[in-house]
Amino acid sequence: MKPTNISEEEMDYLEDLEEERVREENGGSCPGPVDSFATPTLDRRGFVKVGLGGMLSLMMAQWLDPRAAMAAQQAGAPKKAKACILLWMNGGPSHLDTWDPKPGAATGGPLKSIKTRIPGVEISEHMPQIADVANHLAIVRGMSSKEGNHQRAQYLMHTGYSPNPTIQHPSLGGWVSEELGDPKFDLPSFVSISGPSLSAGFLGVQYGPLVIQQPGQPPANVGYAPGVNMTRFDMRQNALGMLENEFSAETGDIKVKGRDAVYGKAVRMMRSPHLKAFEITDEPEAVKTAYGDTNFGRGCLMARRLVESGVKFVEVVLDGWDTHTDNFNRVTKQMNTYDPAMATLIKDLEERKLLDSTLVIWMGEFGRTPKINGNDGRDHFPGAWSAVMAGGGVRGGQAYGQTDAEGTKVVDKQVIVPDLFATISTVLGMNPSKSFMTPVGRPIAITEKGAAVKDLLA
Amino acid sequence: MNWKHLFTGGAAMVACFAAGTAQAQSSATLKPAEIDHMVRAEWQKEGVVPAAPADDARYLRRIYLDITGNIPPAEVVSEFLADKSPNKRVQAVDRLLDSPGYVSNWTNYWDRTLMFGRVEQARVVDKGAFRLWLTEQFDKNTPWNKFVYDLITATGQNSIGGDYRKTRLGLVPASTTDADGHQINGATNWVLRFQGKPEDLSGTASKIFLGVQIQCAQCHDHKTEKWKQTDFRSFTACFVNTRPQPVNPEGFRDKMLKDYRMNLVDVNRPFVPRGKKAGNAAEYAASKPTALDGTDFSESANRRQGLAQWMTAKENPWFAEAIVNRMWSHFLGRGFVEPIDDFRPSNPTIMPDLMARLSDDFVASGYDMKHLIRTICTTQVYNLSSAPAGKTDPDNTLWARFRLKPMNPSQLVDSLVQATNTKPALEKYAGGNLDAIKLNVERQFSFLFDVDEEFEQKDFEGTIPQALLLLNGGIVNTSVTPIPGTALADTLTMPGTDAQKIEALYLRTLSRKPTATELTKWTQFLNEPREMVADNGAPQARPAQPMRPNGKAANAAGKGGKKMQAPTGFNPLARAANRIDPAFKTAKGQAYEDLFWALLNSSEFLFNH
Repeated sequence: MKPTNISEEEMDYLEDLEEERVREENGGSCPGPVDSFATPTLDRRGFVKVGLGGMLSLMMAQWLDPRAAMAAQQAGAPKKAKACILLWMNGGPSHLDTWDPKPGAATGGPLKSIKTRIPGVEISEHMPQIADVANHLAIVRGMSSKEGNHQRAQYLMHTGYSPNPTIQHPSLGGWVSEELGDPKFDLPSFVSISGPSLSAGFLGVQYGPLVIQQPGQPPANVGYAPGVNMTRFDMRQNALGMLENEFSAETGDIKVKGRDAVYGKAVRMMRSPHLKAFEITDEPEAVKTAYGDTNFGRGCLMARRLVESGVKFVEVVLDGWDTHTDNFNRVTKQMNTYDPAMATLIKDLEERKLLDSTLVIWMGEFGRTPKINGNDGRDHFPGAWSAVMAGGGVRGGQAYGQTDAEGTKVVDKQVIVPDLFATISTVLGMNPSKSFMTPVGRPIAITEKGAAVKDLLA
Repeated sequence: MNWKHLFTGGAAMVACFAAGTAQAQSSATLKPAEIDHMVRAEWQKEGVVPAAPADDARYLRRIYLDITGNIPPAEVVSEFLADKSPNKRVQAVDRLLDSPGYVSNWTNYWDRTLMFGRVEQARVVDKGAFRLWLTEQFDKNTPWNKFVYDLITATGQNSIGGDYRKTRLGLVPASTTDADGHQINGATNWVLRFQGKPEDLSGTASKIFLGVQIQCAQCHDHKTEKWKQTDFRSFTACFVNTRPQPVNPEGFRDKMLKDYRMNLVDVNRPFVPRGKKAGNAAEYAASKPTALDGTDFSESANRRQGLAQWMTAKENPWFAEAIVNRMWSHFLGRGFVEPIDDFRPSNPTIMPDLMARLSDDFVASGYDMKHLIRTICTTQVYNLSSAPAGKTDPDNTLWARFRLKPMNPSQLVDSLVQATNTKPALEKYAGGNLDAIKLNVERQFSFLFDVDEEFEQKDFEGTIPQALLLLNGGIVNTSVTPIPGTALADTLTMPGTDAQKIEALYLRTLSRKPTATELTKWTQFLNEPREMVADNGAPQARPAQPMRPNGKAANAAGKGGKKMQAPTGFNPLARAANRIDPAFKTAKGQAYEDLFWALLNSSEFLFNH
């Protein structure tokens, strides 16, 4: 029996050791996490790829796949999200204890399930408020991926690609910021709350996230330094302007102008009326209470205010899902945190007529093993898991896909990561196959292999 | 060896071939003048007018930033300007190459390049031991071929054990021997960081040391490119026999002992052809181990050594060119090939003949990095001003004027500390641990100034949070106040006129003397009527998120539930602010602070130009 006070970090390490042991037993050639053996993901379009170049295969894939054609038609449909709020469940949430309960199954665990506003669809008993807005949700129960290491999977689920040392793929927020952001808007289009999210990769730092460490805080350094007021700041700006003019005249360099433009934007942001969006203290007590007295609740409230003010992508992180030990108590606590926050967010957006134009996504980097380990925990499991979408452009009120009786593999309507990314980008009115030239001269699209899942589109 | 079939045409690759055959020379012969002659011919051919030579002050600042990663101290600038010696520039380069700044700068450079981003096996990777190894190599000026060979083939123990994150932060004295008397080979940590992902090890080694992006062939074959998936698998197969073994298996499995010391060994199994297996690593293990030209290591006693010999051999056309291109790009702001690590026939090379000539000479010098740097820094091309003269190619691909380079995070932090002379104050008020504090500050800057140095920067890639940090952040704003012993306090205390004080601030920040116009303008600025602004609250002594110097915050998207917190707001100088002499708290004192602030926020300060 393993001691129960083992830390997550140590647990991860033991998993690595286990992988190493299996690797040795298999003659030095065993890939990835042990969990992922159970359900190898199939590559449904593998036949298209053979022998064709990247772009060509992409075109062919769309041509051959009716879902892609459907998605293309959808591109002209009126109901489109214009902004996205990603509720990021860091560490990998257990699907069996949240959106895909299997009460009574050997893998089901002690938690019960409750009915939702979707006929016949039940979710965990610890999401009563969400159950009540489930008519807006598309619960994707057939997610399946291949990365079982936190860092690699976090990269995959933020960018749609597995890590590759030759290229930095843009995160979803980066794509949205580049594609939907208004260059004239005086806040960054991409805000990350409670976590750094991932960069905009090769799209460039200007599309990267503005990071808010603690919800309720304004962005770092937007206020004057001690001893500086507006008058003095203006004097400093004048002095700096004189230096800049001279250096710019001397070198005539585009980089100096580029830098001055960034400084100009920074000063504009310092003075922007939209900064008020960060001040959740302005909200009525009742609203704050409804979202919950938690960082995540405050983050969701801030996300709504930011989207309302014109920010295009907000990621709010709920950490603490790496439940190798004491899974059920910890998962319950997590649900108690996000149930009021997510449900209130959806209702709040709806009341403000923003839900039709805002896509809300709930997901983490993978699911967790159906098998309950000796520490009452669940380990990493990318083979089958759940993600949730709600809001503009999403066909709500459904559970899409199905896992087997024990939650160990997807038996119906599997959604692979490229498909999820194609769906998200279609919902947001971005062409999933539009490709961008990378610095190494190779085109990369939001997703190269995916096609939007038409049943998830409104 | 058969190199010829590699070259699918194109002048660049023909030049590569020429480079590979020229190793008969026993010593380096290339003179900087020969480089200048070749570049000048190219300018004439393209009708490009080069800029005038940079003046002494600008040249000195440039070599300081490029060779040591820091701006020159003000007194060094003054001495250099007063020096009448005709070859003072060459002498200055030689002095810097022998300075501790050279060692720390290139340790930083290769630490960034080789240990960048996420490290998947974080617990077994002792980054402190790796840095120590790097320091030793640059201190000894290890020949580049030996450096790369030792890195690729590294075996032995990774760490002295214990909480080695502290070693990296300078909290524990660095050592190359552990308590059990075992010798450490810090280089092993680079291989260990890819443990379980041999394809990332092979892809990174090929990209950085050969400039060949073979990993692009990992996913699928590209019609137009040379490398196929099978090439990539075979190359990766050279790395699959490397294994870490716990030095103390008991302590390794014991959660309390946390003994993560590892012995990196090669399990040298000969290659046996097997049926193709599905799955990631199995694919590589089932592939025949070969180099990029097909050299077969199936029978090799040690594949990794075989491959490293092949990689660093004089005959290898990529090896010398990849590093020469990288160094040229570091100093001149644009490589012959861009991105610097993407050599392929379809990616054109600027002046392939010059790149080949430099590579030949580098090989002939015995892969001497200092020789290469000295050669580049003493060319007229490197000596040009950044101000254009007459008709200049707008893209400036031919280096006809010096290309502006934004400082990277470590250059920026070091230069800010140098210009404001806050190091003694940091030591005094922040209670020692200067390295740990600097690392924390640098981390704050790194997070916000994450520039990709592998790519030529055509435009300024900056962000709003970066600008806000410099405009309003605690570090800059506290450093420009007259804290006792720092730059502004010393400037205000020195006898002399406003003009002399302005000059002192210019020498400290922009590393040059102000012009007459600038003196007039700033004298006027300092003496304009203004009101003193009262402190609107004590500066934040503690960051919103307490930063502990334990290295944890450095891991972006850390393993498990632990997300990195963006380290903003850390200001070790905040406590020193209340020691400021009240005599300086005047309207004019604030005007000086404002001038100092503007100089540190200026493009002329923030670019290497």
